[in-house]
Amino acid sequence: MKSKLPLSLLPLLFLIAAPFCLPTYWTFILSEILIMALFAMSFNLLFGYSGLLSFGQAGFFGVGAYSAALLLRHGGDSLWLLLPAGIASAALAAVVIGFLCVRRDEIYFAMITLGFGMMLFSIAHNWTELTGGSDGLPLAAIPPLRLPGLELSLFDPRNMYFFILAVVALGIFFLWRLVRSPFGLILTAVRENKERLAFVGADVRLVRLAAFTIAGGLAGLAGTLFCLFNSMATPDFMHWSYSAKPVLMTVLGGAGNFFGPAFGAAVFFLLEQLITSVTDNWMIFLGAILIPVVIFFPRGILGTLAGYYRERREKKQP
Amino acid sequence: MNVTPILKIENLGHAYGSFKVIDDISLEIAPGELSALIGPNGAGKTTFYNVVSGRFPPTRGRVFFAGREITGRPAHKVVPLGMLRSFQITNIFPELTVRENVLVPLLLHHRRAFSLLRPLQGEKRLYRQADEVLEKVGIGAHADRPARELAYGDQRLVEMAIVLAREPKLVLLDEPTAGMNPEETTRMINLIKELAARFGTTFFLTEHDMKVVFAIASRIFVLHQGVLLAAGTPEEIRNDPRVREAYLGGGTLPC
Repeated sequence: MKSKLPLSLLPLLFLIAAPFCLPTYWTFILSEILIMALFAMSFNLLFGYSGLLSFGQAGFFGVGAYSAALLLRHGGDSLWLLLPAGIASAALAAVVIGFLCVRRDEIYFAMITLGFGMMLFSIAHNWTELTGGSDGLPLAAIPPLRLPGLELSLFDPRNMYFFILAVVALGIFFLWRLVRSPFGLILTAVRENKERLAFVGADVRLVRLAAFTIAGGLAGLAGTLFCLFNSMATPDFMHWSYSAKPVLMTVLGGAGNFFGPAFGAAVFFLLEQLITSVTDNWMIFLGAILIPVVIFFPRGILGTLAGYYRERREKKQP
Repeated sequence: MNVTPILKIENLGHAYGSFKVIDDISLEIAPGELSALIGPNGAGKTTFYNVVSGRFPPTRGRVFFAGREITGRPAHKVVPLGMLRSFQITNIFPELTVRENVLVPLLLHHRRAFSLLRPLQGEKRLYRQADEVLEKVGIGAHADRPARELAYGDQRLVEMAIVLAREPKLVLLDEPTAGMNPEETTRMINLIKELAARFGTTFFLTEHDMKVVFAIASRIFVLHQGVLLAAGTPEEIRNDPRVREAYLGGGTLPC
């Protein structure tokens, strides 16, 4: 474990150095990758750890985004208000919706979450007076980041990038602690055998509801960041195709690996950049990449690499 | 003899529509007793266990655990009282290590399951207890291996360890030696007897293998076509003509 630490610090060093070395355009791309990485990792708390395939996470992502847009519109202009409000509103939506979802598993759970996700999309799309309908809610201004003795404008892409990096890192740190806690073990036990878990005294629904609420809250945090980053909230954020993104990223990167979904998010965006610069048919290529990954590397790209690395090290040791 | 029975069943029945899988079963089990429920295939043994353990509610009758009514209570409300069960098909957490398999019930037992941000590795006391339980059933050597890698008999012992981690008063064992080779079977029999003697745990098992039943149980209940046909000591059951009739069409019971 300890010898791995410097290796895992490399990506962080890269992320800190990147905006100083790469063109501004790449600062935008990396900002978006970071937000989607947090979104995908929060999804993986459900999928990889608890064994629940949620197809409605974009709903909570969108609730976070709209809570920021609405608060800004109605006078709340501090980031220290927007971020907790984004988490809280999405977690609240998740606890209500989750209460109705956690009774079922597998395809049924996926379908119910998909249904609720589409309902949230419809609300955002059709309740025009509140949400601006299909045009969305543009932000008139982005509040500056107010720290003691310091005020940074987030209109500067580099400031925005580091703000996002800090918040995403905090979110990931929270997840890291969570999966290593007693609750983290109970989550994997839900995935492994919910019946045995119930028959050693766990309220499986409550455990799932807790996981669903936490994942929803973090998706909301990612959505709040995305709203600030894009200077608007639109119903597109809540569309079911947006719920598919964390699923695809997680499958690409590897659900069994803590950083798999983040890695998948990076691969997803880099491929998208690369391929859309040549052709409009990005989805055809995405499919062509995804299918062999699922067939030949069911543990995902990072999951497979990590497994290969571990095997080699184990072979060396004895 | 005024001891409160650890398990008391009153007129228990379960029906799917008009088909009664089990009907009008009444029985009592004293604390510390080793008893067994036997009966031919399809007699309703597993259904009986399912309604008693809270997998689904009975359609009639009542269940008491140590004097408290628990009829129809879901498993997660029955288990904390001290009633645990094993399953006919091995039911463990395959991808978790053997030690983690035992840590899960220990976390629940000590109400640490919703401890969100403290590291699991800081729970030194629980790790120690987990290793004690594994030693108790004799699989301490496998603690760090994923449970799925273990031999079948050892996996059944993992399930036993999972159950014991919650310090049960009563354990329902659904065919604990099913699929085991003779050596593993002997090991399981000795383990159950030892646990009962050392910790006063009450075991109530169903079993196909009559050798196991007669080796363990001091009281036997016979289930036939969903109703309780006979109850008594192994000697009484062996000589009961109704049991012989039901079991072997008038032949003799093995052993």
